[in-house]
Amino acid sequence: MFKFIPYILKSLWRHRARTLLTVSGTAVALLVFCFIGAVQQGLLALTATEDAGRTLIVFQENRFCPQSSRLPQDYERTISKITGVKDVVPIKVFTNNCRASLDSIVFQGIQPEKLKAWRDFDLQSGDFTSFAAQDDAALVGVDIATRRGLKVGDKFTIGDVSVVVRGVFQSATAAENNLVFTQLEFLQRARGANEVGTVTQLEVHLNDSADPQKIAKQIDQVFKTGPVATTTRTKGMFQADTLADLAELIGFVHWLGYACVGLVLSLVATTTVMAVQDRIKEHAVLQTLGLRPSRVFALVITESLLLSTLGGILGVVGSTLLLSSSGMSVAAEGVTIAFEPSFVLAIQGVLIAIVVGILAGIAPGWQAARTEIVPALRHA
Amino acid sequence: MSLVYVTNVTKEYANGEEMIRPLDGVSLSIDEGDFVSLMGASGSGKSTLLNLIAGIDQVTSGEIVVAGTDITKLSRGKLADWRAAHIGYIFQTHNLIPVLTAYENVELPLLLLPMSGAERRKRVEIALEAVDLTSRVTHYPRQMSGGQEQRVGIARAIVANPTVVVADEPTGSLDDETTEQILQLLERVNNELSMTLLMVTHDADAGSRAKRKIRLERGKLMENGKDTKTAQLRTA
Repeated sequence: MFKFIPYILKSLWRHRARTLLTVSGTAVALLVFCFIGAVQQGLLALTATEDAGRTLIVFQENRFCPQSSRLPQDYERTISKITGVKDVVPIKVFTNNCRASLDSIVFQGIQPEKLKAWRDFDLQSGDFTSFAAQDDAALVGVDIATRRGLKVGDKFTIGDVSVVVRGVFQSATAAENNLVFTQLEFLQRARGANEVGTVTQLEVHLNDSADPQKIAKQIDQVFKTGPVATTTRTKGMFQADTLADLAELIGFVHWLGYACVGLVLSLVATTTVMAVQDRIKEHAVLQTLGLRPSRVFALVITESLLLSTLGGILGVVGSTLLLSSSGMSVAAEGVTIAFEPSFVLAIQGVLIAIVVGILAGIAPGWQAARTEIVPALRHA
Repeated sequence: MSLVYVTNVTKEYANGEEMIRPLDGVSLSIDEGDFVSLMGASGSGKSTLLNLIAGIDQVTSGEIVVAGTDITKLSRGKLADWRAAHIGYIFQTHNLIPVLTAYENVELPLLLLPMSGAERRKRVEIALEAVDLTSRVTHYPRQMSGGQEQRVGIARAIVANPTVVVADEPTGSLDDETTEQILQLLERVNNELSMTLLMVTHDADAGSRAKRKIRLERGKLMENGKDTKTAQLRTA
């Protein structure tokens, strides 16, 4: 069969406009499919990690936007005393847009020592010491830096908050690449306010043996009669609840991913049917020369497979380049979903293209293989 | 011993509600190395008989044995393998693959046979030399004249050294000068390469170039004015 590959390639090249349109259509559809997949993976990464299940987020009861949650910072000391709690990280959050947005900037003010202890990132440029030594310093996630063209030494302002970039970091958690870390006190004093002593949320890290649900209930119970009542959930649940509306939308959008696969199927099948109908006589000649019907079938399948796979690879490569170079994300209420390209998604995309290519070639291949030679030779 | 035996072959097909019978109990035998022309009026069934012997059409009844194989009993797949090994087919309209060069068109039948690349190259070069087209190996069909295309078609038909070469109106779409060149080439194929040749033609002049001339009339074979039973006696 490999001996016929030049014939197949030349046949595709003969109708290069049709081939190009099919390949580009397939590429676009697979690009959209991978893009949707990346959004879904980003959402899954927020809610399905081990950290998401074993870290608690304490938020002000009945509050939704970070700005509306004002917890006393000294809750930290009370929570630290609860059995099973390893550490508590007070965090001040500021975002330029509380609603769902593709260009939200989320600041997290964290004490430098806690930041170092509980965030897993590598500095691509800059250094941590100069961040810790300067009040208005910021460590910027690589995706924001890419999106906004930021580098060490740059000053940038969002709303009334102005910071100086002292480092660009790459986090092991993709969503964090869309965050800006500042010092806690700086963010408490930002925008002319004096909110020292209040934080947006408390991040509670637990011992391995601790029961997250039990401790969450315990925390809420402790502060039920305090100055500010709390709602405590695992990080995963907190993020899932916060992004519930977006998650519903993303859940719906994933059907568009399947629609893209259907589109590729119909596009490649249409092209292959056209190619077979154009070459009824040619296939009859090949059969006259001694090509088995099963080989004619294989020729058509291979042609369809090449079209689909080539388009698939281009789409996957395109989406990977787009996602990794743009650092796109969507955020709502200070929680970010990173559109994350991945090797698994790329393989999935190419495999789908291969399967679709085979499926699209079956009917036209069968038609070509079953054609009677003599009437086909008379075909104009 | 004959190479091809056609015994009591009938071919019927439906054309709407009407049943057409282009061949009605035809019998024929062809000796190895023979050059047979099959003539007859349009619709007399000569191409049908040729296609049956070439194994690209199925008989309604009867038997066709070529080089000891009853091809009417073969499955589609086996018949394709058999064609690759035993039949060289020359079409009226050349039917070269447009995306392939002259060399690649000639090489096509060899791709279906177990053969090394070096052997394939050697055979293609010999075939192209036999039809005097060594200077056109990289040309595509659209870059060649009708006569050159037909010569490539002949090279393609003989390259695998088939048991029988069949030609369906090989000069039907050519001018007189090119027709003469092609007929001379077919004679050389028969004489110099000792290939058995069965040529269908409606052109009496072309038909007369064959060693043996057969006519098909109303579904029956006639040879020298006698029916096929006599024709069979000739080769018995």
